[in-house]
Amino acid sequence: MSKNSGFMKALKCRECGREYPLEATHVCEFDFGPLEVAYDYDKIKKSLTKDALAKRPHTMWRFRELLPVAEEPTVGTGVGYTPLVKADRLAKWLGVREAWVKNDAVNYPTLSFKDRVVSVALSRARELGFKTVACASTGNLANSVAANAASAGLDSFVFIPADLEEGKILNSLIYGARVVGIRGHYDEVNRLCAEIAGKYGWAFVNVNMRPYYAEGSKSMAFEIAEQLNWKLPQHTVAPMASGSLLTKIHKGYQELIKLGLAEDSKPVVHGAQATGCSPISAAYKDGKDFFKPVKPDTIAKSLAIGTPADGFYALKVMKETGGASDDVSDDEIRDAMKALAECEGIFTETAGGVTVGTAKKLVASGKIPAEDSVVLCVTGNGLKTLDAVQGRVGEPDEIKPSLREFEELIESDTKVKTK
Amino acid sequence: MAAKKKAAKPARKAAKKAVRKTKRTANSRKTARLWLMFPQRLITKPVVWELSQKFPVITNVRQASVTGEIGLVCLELDGLANDVKKAVTWLERRGVSVEPVEINVIES
Repeated sequence: MSKNSGFMKALKCRECGREYPLEATHVCEFDFGPLEVAYDYDKIKKSLTKDALAKRPHTMWRFRELLPVAEEPTVGTGVGYTPLVKADRLAKWLGVREAWVKNDAVNYPTLSFKDRVVSVALSRARELGFKTVACASTGNLANSVAANAASAGLDSFVFIPADLEEGKILNSLIYGARVVGIRGHYDEVNRLCAEIAGKYGWAFVNVNMRPYYAEGSKSMAFEIAEQLNWKLPQHTVAPMASGSLLTKIHKGYQELIKLGLAEDSKPVVHGAQATGCSPISAAYKDGKDFFKPVKPDTIAKSLAIGTPADGFYALKVMKETGGASDDVSDDEIRDAMKALAECEGIFTETAGGVTVGTAKKLVASGKIPAEDSVVLCVTGNGLKTLDAVQGRVGEPDEIKPSLREFEELIESDTKVKTK
Repeated sequence: MAAKKKAAKPARKAAKKAVRKTKRTANSRKTARLWLMFPQRLITKPVVWELSQKFPVITNVRQASVTGEIGLVCLELDGLANDVKKAVTWLERRGVSVEPVEINVIES
């Protein structure tokens, strides 16, 4: 295990502020509050400058001082720096002056923002001497752990509920991960996974490695700021499952302000959920700082967390920044996925539909003023949730191999413009 | 197919061994750290007291937030593995939702 801690200072309890050594641990022994990485910002300030950045490759690791690894990263070194697309046509659909899409649907290597968090967790796991990594996941996280572990030569275990669809399992099996299906209802599976994580000496990315893992999300905020030429966006809309991404985007912006890399333009962060699983959005609307757990029922499976671990912190961030939260129905999610595809040529998974659909609602309700600019965080690829839009995007026309039939077809179609 | 059969044999052996091991560990001591969520109808009920009367487990409330709408209690349960398991099952039957201290381990 490396004695060097790089730019990190300690792990710190988010509730009581007690400090812990930089090991694979995740809850405060005193109050069971979540632990978070604390950094030496004075040291970072000297190393992370715009001049230094100009010489670095375009990956999320450009910002390595603000990511929790002691040495140079060893896993997922090509992750991140996904396009920030100026979305003029989508802006019109949303009813807002300016819109940008941060497109993690094309993140490397597994087409979701999870590659960010996983490459951080696995790089740190290696530094701490782990040889086996694990996660409990029903989708993107499993794919990313399996793929990144494979390329790093680490053994990986992926725990899933036994009744998960075959397609989702294949996406992990292909990388040679050991996939273990657990029979039982969701809560039992959840508790067993926590127990396994506690018992075996593995790096469980979203349990004992969680403080490091979660920090990877900040890279999305760093990239957005740099891609906007170091101007923080007026509004950012992020999807909320556990609520972690939203809190880390906020932390990322605040760190850039603290380091003097961006001006404090009071960036507002908004949270998006699916109506079928909206504990955080419901709490926001009721003006509460706690949420009631729900049983998820939505096509946005990647956001279907009924008891969000970071829900309380996400609500706090929205309150602090003047942000808002809303939620969208399954049909609104599909409409938004279609709108993003038709306006910008970006095919997102259902979670992206939640973000785009919610942004439209927030503009309509004036929470995002029409004259402002907004960045939408699109976190996953549409190819992963084809079933959600199957049969809902029309059917292809079919003709015989005859020019006459083709001409008849386009004549009857008023939408097609012939030259 | 033959290769599959060959591979299956040691796997079965390992599984049997794992079952024996589970039986052996069923009566070892265990501490579970859990977040309990009480729905509104159970907020005024002495559920933790009932639990300690029914099962030989040590209950230790480590954090709690109880409002008129919901009760959130972080509870440590210490006892024989079997008793802890039975206590959790009883809590769930009583209508309390029981999460690990990490809350949600399964992600998308």
